[in-house]
Amino acid sequence: MIKLNVNGVEYNLDIEPEMPLLWALREEAALRGTKFGCGIGMCGACTVHIDGAPIRSCSYPVSAAVGKQIKTIESIGTSDTPHAVQQAWIAHQVPQCGYCQSGMQMAAIAMLNNNPQPSDDDIDRAMTNLCRCGTYDRIRAAIKTAAKELV
Amino acid sequence: MGITRRIFMVTGATLGGGLLLGIGGVGAHLLTHDRLKFQREGSEANGAALINLWIRITPDNKIVVINPHSDMGQGSSTGLMQIVADELDADWSQMHVEQAPADSAYSNGKVFEGFVRETITPPVWASTLLENGFYRMGDLMKMQMTGGSSAVRFTGWESMRHAAASARQMLVTAAAEHLDVSTESLVTVNGTVAHSDSGRSLTYGELASAAAVLDNPEQVQLKSPDQYRYVGQPLARTDVPAKVIANADYGIDADVPDMHYAAVVTSGVFGAQVKSIDNLSEVKAARGVSDVIIVPDGVAVVADNPWRAEKAVREIKFTREPHTNDMLSTESLVADQRKALADELETAMTTGKPDDITATVSAEYLVPYLAHASLEPMNATVWQQDHKLHVVCGTQNPLNAKSRVAKEAGVGIDNIVFHARQMGGGFGRRVAFGSSGDEPLNWLIQAVRVALDSGKPVKTTWSRETDTRSDVYRPMVMAQFEGGLDGNGNPALWRSRSFGKEMNIKAVAPLYQIPNVAVSFADKSHSVPTGFWRSVEHSQHGFFVESFIDELAVAAGVDPLQYRLNLLAEKSPAAKVLDKVAQMSGWRSGIDDQGRAMGVALVNSFGSSVAQVVEASMTPAGPKAHRVWCAVDCGVAINPQAIEAQVQGAVNFALSAALYGKCDIKDGGVVQSNFHDYRVVSMAQAPRVEVELLALGSPIGGVGEIGVPPLAPALTNALAVVDGERRRVLPLV
Repeated sequence: MIKLNVNGVEYNLDIEPEMPLLWALREEAALRGTKFGCGIGMCGACTVHIDGAPIRSCSYPVSAAVGKQIKTIESIGTSDTPHAVQQAWIAHQVPQCGYCQSGMQMAAIAMLNNNPQPSDDDIDRAMTNLCRCGTYDRIRAAIKTAAKELV
Repeated sequence: MGITRRIFMVTGATLGGGLLLGIGGVGAHLLTHDRLKFQREGSEANGAALINLWIRITPDNKIVVINPHSDMGQGSSTGLMQIVADELDADWSQMHVEQAPADSAYSNGKVFEGFVRETITPPVWASTLLENGFYRMGDLMKMQMTGGSSAVRFTGWESMRHAAASARQMLVTAAAEHLDVSTESLVTVNGTVAHSDSGRSLTYGELASAAAVLDNPEQVQLKSPDQYRYVGQPLARTDVPAKVIANADYGIDADVPDMHYAAVVTSGVFGAQVKSIDNLSEVKAARGVSDVIIVPDGVAVVADNPWRAEKAVREIKFTREPHTNDMLSTESLVADQRKALADELETAMTTGKPDDITATVSAEYLVPYLAHASLEPMNATVWQQDHKLHVVCGTQNPLNAKSRVAKEAGVGIDNIVFHARQMGGGFGRRVAFGSSGDEPLNWLIQAVRVALDSGKPVKTTWSRETDTRSDVYRPMVMAQFEGGLDGNGNPALWRSRSFGKEMNIKAVAPLYQIPNVAVSFADKSHSVPTGFWRSVEHSQHGFFVESFIDELAVAAGVDPLQYRLNLLAEKSPAAKVLDKVAQMSGWRSGIDDQGRAMGVALVNSFGSSVAQVVEASMTPAGPKAHRVWCAVDCGVAINPQAIEAQVQGAVNFALSAALYGKCDIKDGGVVQSNFHDYRVVSMAQAPRVEVELLALGSPIGGVGEIGVPPLAPALTNALAVVDGERRRVLPLV
């Protein structure tokens, strides 16, 4: 059995230690806000936090997550109480198809936790997730708005 | 129910009294049973009244717009709501939207009609016939497509706007009868009909069922632009909040009882089928694996977790049938195209006497096959329940998908329950149409086979690798150009030859005033599966035409932006967007002290005009687009912020293709597989994009695709200034 702590909840899962965390989250724990895009850690649609750090869960074995705090988009905010990043995402009308945006927000939140006032270069370096709809202008603007709100 | 009402049901738009009577005889035989059935069921459900096919008003005064198109985040749902709210004098808080069911009542002949009107302009008398005829064709083809940038401009502006205005008048008529006053004494305000003399008012919800059984008015009074409260406003899109909060409503998020998971690998050669599995017992012994199934063009493994299915399917060793495509390669396909351009040309258009002019400039361009690479890989979930086959799938054409599922399963369409879901990107991949005769819904057909053959509820999801290698690709196209200049440096000759069966002359011919033009093409099909890719032919031909006009400007020694202006009617939208983009960008020719230069391109597509200026430089990592300015004339701008988003996104979509995008063909299949070798721009490569919309009084144009075509030529035109090198082959990196 693999014991995972996801969003503060303990899951005991009968899965192989090498199973990528993404598939344990989506289909064993039914937390489907985290998305599958490439399976090789390139696109970032599967970004979650492990002990606060952004990781690409499609390429991260569950064995490496045992004993750590896993946070997914489901823990970030709700419609009634959205996170500052989510408020900024709505205010700037960021999503188009929206599929990459849970990973984008997880990457942005992790960056802002480490670096509350990122420069454009910092954003370029930290935000390596892919958005096929090309919403980068608005992601950048929303990050700057959220940074002001989080001060 | 009078005949006029039923024609309204068919056409979806009132046509003015005289015309309406004039087409009575034509419309009558086109009535479809489904439309009437739908109307009645809609009227009877929950006391809500379906005023017409697209508008339902509930007793508590909610106005529900039924969108026959799929909103993939382009904002069409919000745009349609804005149009309806204005014509109905509704309050925004009343407005709701839902996607139409996959039903022939919502097939969209308007899309076809729109395409026809763009390609040929029918005389007025024929236009009304086409309207009816194409609706019927839509029914017959089981079309419920979202494509061609058509949702807002054709369905919304040409049809739903009239339907909403009619509905408003029907509500007023119902109120007049109820209050026993004249219609002239009534006004509509914020979802109510008010009689100011007596101070009485009724909500639309109170009037809807009485209004729904009235005949449609023969004359419809549309709002004038100064009366708009919502059209033209940058309203927030209604689909955004849910997409920000842990959204799990895409096809891939399906969850049904006892769900199994399938992964698929392709045969590796287009059209070649798998004959046998060589290591079946070994594969089936893996944990969780239940079935190994040969499916069209590949083989699938069913397991109890998607990772176990994927792991197992990658271990399969299979024997493939030999196929004529076995030796297919990019090199052979390029050679075929070049040969066709020499030997098998057909004339598309001739103006003046091109053969009398000597060509002094010539160029050959080549753009590759491209995958769509929607971020959500193709997937579908299929299961049997209560003697019906259920399907969860994100598609740009739910009705066509439903009909294909029925055919594959060998059952009637009424036995299919189709659950449309959000799409993680479409870009033409999910439109259910191809241009090569290959099955564009190939993933869905595989998913149906897997579920039926395994007898289990199965979510079939393609890996990124399978997605990249099983697409219906944007066609590779070679084009050759010859040009000649007159004494003033203006083009005296324009001759082009290009490869491809699909010919949209508006995409291929130059939009500039040139006295002698010869456009020809090789009417040949592709051995590679091909389909529609955001902006269709404009993505290739916009690059060719706007590169070659730049080459002529260089040959003439004239500033390329001024060169274009000299060849356009002064007051045309094309000239206006060029002027605007020059102003926005602070246009300059030549290279600056940071090594940056500007390039310009102008493409009319989908009824809109877009001019772009790209500021670019060469870096050690290759070409870099720093900033992009876009001047857009799309006629009526329903929701400016959503339009800005579409154009910004299109720039990045096109930049990915210009810099990195290619699908090489080797041994009958695609070489590239995932985002490491089929690259997409990320934040660091994305330029700052500024968009301005012009209000020129032009007819409404499309929005979703128009930002794509000018980007590649504007970029290569800029790079030609940077280092003097003319880049005629994409991608650049």
